[in-house]
Amino acid sequence: MQPLANITPLKPAGAIEVRNVGQIFKTTTQDVVALEDVSLDVRPGRFVVLVGPSGCGKSTLLMMMAGLRQQTSGTITISGAPIPEPDPNRVGVVFQEASLFPWLTAEENVEFPLALRGVTKSDRRARAQDALKLVGLDGFGKRHPHELSGGMKQRVSIARGLVQDPPVLLMDEPFAALDEQTRMTMGDELLRIWAATGKTVVFVTHSLTEAVYLADEVIVMSPRPGRIVDHLQVSLPRPRTYEMLSGDAFGSLRDRIWRHIRKSA
Amino acid sequence: MQSGLAVKAARVAIVVALFAIWEILSRTGIVNPRLLPSASDTLSTLGELLQRASVRKDLAVTATEVVTAFALAVPVGALIGFLIAENRYFAEVAKPLLFFAFSIPKSIFLPMFILVFGVGFSQKVGFGFFSTIFIVIMSTTTAVESVKVEHLTVARSYGATPVQTAFRVYLPSMLPVLLEALRISMIFNLTGVILAEMYASRDGIGHQIATWGENFQMKQLLAGVVMIAAIAIAFNELVRWVETRCSHWRT
Amino acid sequence: MSAATLRRLIVFGLIALWEILPRAGFIPELFLPSLSSTLAAGWNEAGEYGHALAVTLYEVAISMAFACGGGILLGAIVGSLPRPRILIMPMVSSLYAVPLVILYPVFTVWLGIGSESKIAFASIYGFLPTMLATAAGIQTIDPQLLLAARSMGATLSQRLVRVIIPAAIPTVLSGLRVGGALVIVGVVVSEMLISSAGIGYLISRYRTILDSPHVFAGVLLVLAMAIAFNAAIKWIERKAAIWQTGTRAGQDSAGEVAPAALQPAT
Repeated sequence: MQPLANITPLKPAGAIEVRNVGQIFKTTTQDVVALEDVSLDVRPGRFVVLVGPSGCGKSTLLMMMAGLRQQTSGTITISGAPIPEPDPNRVGVVFQEASLFPWLTAEENVEFPLALRGVTKSDRRARAQDALKLVGLDGFGKRHPHELSGGMKQRVSIARGLVQDPPVLLMDEPFAALDEQTRMTMGDELLRIWAATGKTVVFVTHSLTEAVYLADEVIVMSPRPGRIVDHLQVSLPRPRTYEMLSGDAFGSLRDRIWRHIRKSA
Repeated sequence: MQSGLAVKAARVAIVVALFAIWEILSRTGIVNPRLLPSASDTLSTLGELLQRASVRKDLAVTATEVVTAFALAVPVGALIGFLIAENRYFAEVAKPLLFFAFSIPKSIFLPMFILVFGVGFSQKVGFGFFSTIFIVIMSTTTAVESVKVEHLTVARSYGATPVQTAFRVYLPSMLPVLLEALRISMIFNLTGVILAEMYASRDGIGHQIATWGENFQMKQLLAGVVMIAAIAIAFNELVRWVETRCSHWRT
Repeated sequence: MSAATLRRLIVFGLIALWEILPRAGFIPELFLPSLSSTLAAGWNEAGEYGHALAVTLYEVAISMAFACGGGILLGAIVGSLPRPRILIMPMVSSLYAVPLVILYPVFTVWLGIGSESKIAFASIYGFLPTMLATAAGIQTIDPQLLLAARSMGATLSQRLVRVIIPAAIPTVLSGLRVGGALVIVGVVVSEMLISSAGIGYLISRYRTILDSPHVFAGVLLVLAMAIAFNAAIKWIERKAAIWQTGTRAGQDSAGEVAPAALQPAT
């Protein structure tokens, strides 16, 4: 395959285009339609949240955007080119939890994707330091994951996703295992990092409040088969504040999502 | 279900293939048939051995020793295991000692059993008991500790009596672990008794196998090996089958 | 009194009883020679024991290389490939139920009563648990770690070297501990059964002439060997303690290998 750097992108860096994507899981007994005819456009620099009940295929869709899984039909392009396999220069991925390597320190974890590509030690260290500083973990680089709190571990994961400076950051329920308070703080932190870096973010969550609080756009999905049932624009001003949570605008957006989810449950 | 059948068929095929290779190696003379009699010869020898009164007697002797040692080691070990698991202080004192006793090789104490008990029935049972008891204690302790505190709290909050708690919470939670313990203990026990018989004895199937080996009677020796292996595997599979039947308790 | 203190007292008490009971004549010297006479017996024949120890250690070292090398290699292959794993693992763990000591006479017929038969027997004796533990260790690696590595573009060989091997180390080490202990047992037991050299041979020879102190001196030597080996592996395990979290907690690999099954059988 040709190196991606030589392809002139048709779309600007950070754009995601999903066209008529379907995914069928074959089991020994039957075929399960995980996704059916999903189409979606994400403009560069947008914060898009995928929300929906279990089994609606939101994580599957994210894995396909990351090149970790191939769709059965349809096309997905990231920055204008298809993504047949993971490409950390175009896409960074942050997982739910425990995806840090326990035998590496925080900074070694952040350096990991660079080490895979043979970046020199000093260069690696410098870039890892920058990424850790960005997520607010300056000075914690020498610690091992088990010496960090849940929120700090997720900061390290975000730093690892950003260390190669990809235009797109995909996040698969990154805060699901955190407690409520930490979750709120991490949400604000993520918005700060997003504003500072201008990345395109696609964020999967179960939490309606989290979805509305973080997003520019919320994509609501429903299961059996997995498909998009609504696409909301969240026009709440930024920076988002805690007070907005109790406002009418916030409430009506959340209600609209909830009605979709209740219908499909 | 179909793939399950396929896996079973493949396993049977592997075993058959191994026997076929054994047969071919011996028949074609690639391996000296005096050192490796063919599989078919070995199996027919096995059939013939099972007809012999002396071999049957040896099997009976070994079985008696194994069962006696097992019948002594399991209740005694289980009782000690319970006491340790139920008393925190006692557990803290005894556990490292038991772990130590558990981790050291038991076989090297075999000569001591001969010095004390001679080479008869009691020595085999004694050594079988000694080989088994530590694993029984350890497994019982593990089994008791595998009972979930939440389940006990629920039982208590609904006013369960100690007897009800024992039968409705402890026993069902512990059953899978106990079955596993039974299986492993039997492996240890059988190994202990057979080793003791091979080392110094006048009868028993282990003694017979050692004698065949010393006299270079390969057919009988291999037949004996196949026989013991078959018995051990059959017992093991039986307990495992029961285990899987009640595996839904396990979380 | 703290548990640790009581435990120490019990240990010292047992050692003291070992000296006092035989001396006072409560236990015949034939059954249990006193600690001092055991040590004296060992000291007086230090040359003989030293030579026997060298033979035994030589056999242990070679068997260990075979058992652990083969066990780790095969366990890694079987553990990382789902099809062979489903097919073979239950068969291997059935094999584990067989008292393998019955194979030793076969090896003596094939290889004679020298070191070769001991090495062959001990290698097979230690091989199974090492293989089972390695396969289980590879299997319990958190799939999230592999997925994360893949998302960062790690190739198959990079995943093996940077994720699978480091994550499997703790389980492999515990397999080594059991496998190594079984190798020691295998060598000594085979020496006890039929041989002409080694500590096991000395124990058996002194046993036939009812020389209890010399039997016990040999037993103590083997014990020391087993304990030293155990301590060495534990030390390495502690060094690698940080790895412990690399596998999903509480996963016991679909009941294929219970932890207790990985302990030395006699």
